[in-house]
Amino acid sequence: MNRVKTTKLLLWLFAGFAAAVALNRYIFGLGVTTNLNDQTPWGFWIGFDVMAGVALAAGGFVTTAIFYMIKREEFHPLVKPAVLTAFLGYVAVIVGLLFDLGLPWNIWHMIIYWNPHSPLFEVGWCVMLYTTVLLLEFSPVPLEESSRYAKIRNFLMRFRFPLVLLGIMLSTLHQSSLGTLFLIMPARLYPLWYSHILPIEFFISAVALGLMMVAFETLLSHWLYRREPETELVGKLCKIATWVLGTYFVVKMTDLALTGKIGMIFNGSWLSDLFIVEILISTLIPAALFAVGKLRRNSTAQWIGSAMVIVGLVMNRIDVGGFAMVGGAASYTPSWMEIAISLGIVSAAILVFLLVVEHFHIWEIRPEDPQSLPEVSPSFDYSSRTWLGTPDVSSLATHSLAFVLSFAVGMAALSGKRLHAEGVDSIVVRPATGVDTLCINGNRDNQFVEFPHEAHIAWIKTHAVSLTIDGVIDSISATKEDSCTFCHHFNLPGERLSNCWECHTSMYSRVDFFRHDWHTSARGANLKCDDCHTPGVTRTAESAKQCAACHPAYKFAVNTNLAKPAFYIPSYVDAMHELCVACHKAEVKEVKGKPELALCTSCHKTGTPPELRAGMKWKVSVPHYDNVVLPNVSTVEK
Amino acid sequence: MSTDSLLEFARGPLFRLSFAVLVLGLIRILFLDLWGILKAYGKTSDKRMPWQLIRSRSFEWVLPVKRMFRNRHIYSIVSFLFHIGLIAVPIFLFAHINLWKQSVGISWPALPYSWALGLALTTIVLGVAMLISRMVLKPIHLLSKGQDYFWLVLLLIPFTTGFICANLNISAGLYQFLMLVHVLAGDLIFLLIPFSKIAHCVLTPLSQVVGTIGWKFPAGADEAISRITYSDAVEPKPEKG
Repeated sequence: MNRVKTTKLLLWLFAGFAAAVALNRYIFGLGVTTNLNDQTPWGFWIGFDVMAGVALAAGGFVTTAIFYMIKREEFHPLVKPAVLTAFLGYVAVIVGLLFDLGLPWNIWHMIIYWNPHSPLFEVGWCVMLYTTVLLLEFSPVPLEESSRYAKIRNFLMRFRFPLVLLGIMLSTLHQSSLGTLFLIMPARLYPLWYSHILPIEFFISAVALGLMMVAFETLLSHWLYRREPETELVGKLCKIATWVLGTYFVVKMTDLALTGKIGMIFNGSWLSDLFIVEILISTLIPAALFAVGKLRRNSTAQWIGSAMVIVGLVMNRIDVGGFAMVGGAASYTPSWMEIAISLGIVSAAILVFLLVVEHFHIWEIRPEDPQSLPEVSPSFDYSSRTWLGTPDVSSLATHSLAFVLSFAVGMAALSGKRLHAEGVDSIVVRPATGVDTLCINGNRDNQFVEFPHEAHIAWIKTHAVSLTIDGVIDSISATKEDSCTFCHHFNLPGERLSNCWECHTSMYSRVDFFRHDWHTSARGANLKCDDCHTPGVTRTAESAKQCAACHPAYKFAVNTNLAKPAFYIPSYVDAMHELCVACHKAEVKEVKGKPELALCTSCHKTGTPPELRAGMKWKVSVPHYDNVVLPNVSTVEK
Repeated sequence: MSTDSLLEFARGPLFRLSFAVLVLGLIRILFLDLWGILKAYGKTSDKRMPWQLIRSRSFEWVLPVKRMFRNRHIYSIVSFLFHIGLIAVPIFLFAHINLWKQSVGISWPALPYSWALGLALTTIVLGVAMLISRMVLKPIHLLSKGQDYFWLVLLLIPFTTGFICANLNISAGLYQFLMLVHVLAGDLIFLLIPFSKIAHCVLTPLSQVVGTIGWKFPAGADEAISRITYSDAVEPKPEKG
């Protein structure tokens, strides 16, 4: 089996799938893509892509520090790959952030709009600067390909030492500041993770994670390209990591003991169990494994140990970044789309890594694509029996096909409902209550509109008004005699004045009022097309009969002209706003004591709804319902 | 599964899948073609290319109005008109645009109803005529492969079913069934386009470049080819049989 080719194929599949989800995220937004909510606005993407991503890329500064500062020359072969991994890691973090930010095009804002009190501001600046430093640290490698760039390369090489120094400084700052971010929420983060020295813990664990990431990446790339494993060198990395992990464990446990939280570890809740698992995987088992000299130099143990540290510490970042948050009203589990995007970003980063490794001088000996060796027999297309070309051409064809197909599968996997969703839950409208004064509180929260129905009737009976609402109603007018129909523009059978909520049944999403599919389906009205549509014309809503042609009882008020025949009618909120605000803009801009009636606060109130208020007068002056005998509400008055 | 849920599946997930394969697949094949051209051009010994001629010929083949009146007039005109209906009706049909508008909110100008009707009818009639001529006329019959018949039939299915659904007053059950066939055939067409001869919808503009570079590649091939063709032209070989 060709390891490189198979791995790349898998990575392309992940990337293609993620690309489809990415399209979904950018067209339809975060609401349909993630399971994030107001209680948990930071989820998997921040925990994995950003927090863990930055920590995983710590290998760059750790390795350069060991090589350039401590002058351990034997680590030279690891420096270039480590810097490359770090650079790609930071680029992946930034790309990941572009998915998570609600307004990604504003990502540059922190460059100009400074908030020096915010740890996130510091993290942002450090990440930006450190990515630049990494680019400058790494660019001598591609530049050495041609003698044309020798001058630039020499210039950069002269500044290598200060750059390395700057890199270490910036990393120290932001690796710890990522922990500082959570100091603000002692009540939200579970006590086992929360600590006043979270920044220090974050920094130490980032060093350990960086070391193990370099080790793992070395093991993996050497396995992929079937090279001699550098067991000796990785063993040395593991030795350093043992000390760092030991320090991390001691610091963490001492802190827990001093703050009196150490007993919580064994209190049996699932978060404390999670903590035990995390500490075992990330610290205790690998440290114990690497403490034994013989195991440390065994490549299997190196695989297991480094993988454990990576999984464990990534878990730690995800836990701190959202998983171990308590007190939220809504629970959060990442949606598969969030995981797909993260997987796709990592896959793309690995693909770029492999591309760079194959084309530039990262290792002493450049890896050979096993497929391009002369003894490999050519492969043929199975259908046309033609030669697929040299390996680079044929793999390009295969990989792009993999990308296209998995993108398509991703598109199919996006559920149609989500694709059409408007990002809102469907809330059934609660009818307005009251008689002369209506309490409009469709979504049952403690914000409501107190609607003086009686006052509106009194006003409209003395005015002849007409109104146009853009895109909804061409004209709506009422004479003094027929004044009710100005607002009550549609009547259900058996009613003269239907209420708003009877048709606008959904609080935030539009309502399928007509149900075309029900009318055509065999289980519904089972109508033929021409039963409603005029033959010989394109079948549209315009060319169809109006509802009243078949349902004489369903009546639009005489003076209402819709802009377009309504298959879908606006949500309750939109319907209210379109009618109230439009009229208060055009006809009644202000009344006595209430200027600017089209403003939000003129109508929207918070507090006890009038129906619950003691001493509220619910008086009926005119029984304006024709066929309903109203109870004498005024007796309720107290 | 009922026709309703099948139809929902065909115009939901299956449509998204096949449309993604169509768009990205065509981009992919165009990119691979361009990549191959660049690679071959890099390896040719003689880099002098008749770019002017290639450009004018490419334009001539993309819009073959001039070509129509060279030889086989009827077939050329029929084929040209067939292509117009084939491309314009699915893209500019009001009902299709409406679907786009409802699902992702984009729209573009639609064909008037009478035009759409006429073009669809023309395409169906010409398609049937081309199918018959492929079967009956000997020279075309000899050149045709299974794929050629398959594609004509496959392309006619959505046109016919769509035409019936849009214009005839049929029962709802039959409508649903024909619509299902219509959508499924459309999905199949989308899925197959990038991997079959219909990929010429994006590759045609490159055909002249490919031909010319093929003539120069590998090094020295152009002399060899001109020698062969020249000797063929001077001394035609005696026909066998």
